[in-house]
Amino acid sequence: MLLVLIRVIKGPTVIDRLVAVNVIGTKSIVLILFSGILFGQLDMFVDIALGYGLLNFIVSIAASRYYQHRRSLEQKGKIS
Amino acid sequence: MAELPIWQYDTLFLILVLLFGITALAMQNLMGAAIVFGAYSFLMCLIWTTMGAVDVAFTEAAVGAGVSTVFIVATIYNTGVSAIPKSPRIAFKIFAGLIAIGTGAFLLSALPDFPGWGDPKSPVNSTVAPYYIKNSIRDAHVPNIVTTVLADYRSFDTLLETTVVFIACIAIYSILRIDNAKSKVTEPDIITSPPAYDPTDSLIIRQASRIMVPFMQLFALYVIAHGHYSPGGGFQGGVILGASIILLCISFDIKHVLQHWTEKKIMLLTALGVLIFATVGLACILMGGEYLDYGYLDSVLPGDKAYARSHGILLVEIGVGITVMFSMIGIYINLASNGRFDRGL
Repeated sequence: MLLVLIRVIKGPTVIDRLVAVNVIGTKSIVLILFSGILFGQLDMFVDIALGYGLLNFIVSIAASRYYQHRRSLEQKGKIS
Repeated sequence: MAELPIWQYDTLFLILVLLFGITALAMQNLMGAAIVFGAYSFLMCLIWTTMGAVDVAFTEAAVGAGVSTVFIVATIYNTGVSAIPKSPRIAFKIFAGLIAIGTGAFLLSALPDFPGWGDPKSPVNSTVAPYYIKNSIRDAHVPNIVTTVLADYRSFDTLLETTVVFIACIAIYSILRIDNAKSKVTEPDIITSPPAYDPTDSLIIRQASRIMVPFMQLFALYVIAHGHYSPGGGFQGGVILGASIILLCISFDIKHVLQHWTEKKIMLLTALGVLIFATVGLACILMGGEYLDYGYLDSVLPGDKAYARSHGILLVEIGVGITVMFSMIGIYINLASNGRFDRGL
């Protein structure tokens, strides 16, 4: 996880950060389940992990849509 | 229960959160800052889970992962990506720095007065909390005490919170919504031009979200209905429902969604949720109790008084869920289409 954090903080481009944050999200799911085992109540934590799994990727899709749109504008020469 | 290594985890996560906050603030590219804030919210969620506050963690997960970053991305889409700071005068910088340091020192000076973490004698743990813990099952047959506190013992707070969400939605409508036909303001060319790409091109995303959305909605309904026994409830379920529709808005386009959910429907349903909540409260008065005292609904709802409270909580959670869901959708569409309801990300 620490290696990914370096990408988030230093990451030369935004895309690097996007992928890194996605990896952190996936790792968070595992960590939430681990803390569920630590507390001895896995059933409470499975719901959070499921919610994460379902929602994690929306931001990535939104950001990629944004870049797609921006690239198409750049090709038309509207913005530099 | 064995001694948990919570202290070490918390320190690690707090340092990382601080690091992420500073990184996000120092970044010139707003898109990067938004994404780093996504990671920030992941870590906050982990901190809540290590504290055992599963409901709060769930809210943070749903809001942080699902909608808040998408809202920021939609806003950046309509405004612009680079923040070019005006370098302020040096006197102003010193003044602002002094205020920030002063406030920080003031807050730190209050730190020794806080009771220790998990101290059984602290005011939080010694006044009303024992009552809730002892009586939640007896009063309402609800094992998840957070749900009882939220929707029964302190339902006034929750009613007002729901109203705040509703008011925020109304405020965004009144600021951003523009009627295209009547509008005389023309947007700059960059923003008005329709996307040059064919929105039907991303087959994988479209099909994947077509499969995902029903599961997300089913899970959200489970979260709302099962909030009595597991973490969750109206807010979390509503956010997940809203996020599923937002996913449709992103992967197809807003017009496609608005064919099924017209603007009028979205507005009406936003108000309907608050109305359900308030009506349940009013019904309690009509049945002879006080406002939002669900126990008096036992002649209309099945079961004894405690079960009536349990069912009352469920009704209220449904109201909260509806309001939150449609507020999220309304806010997203307004932000993404700059109030014109005709295009989006």
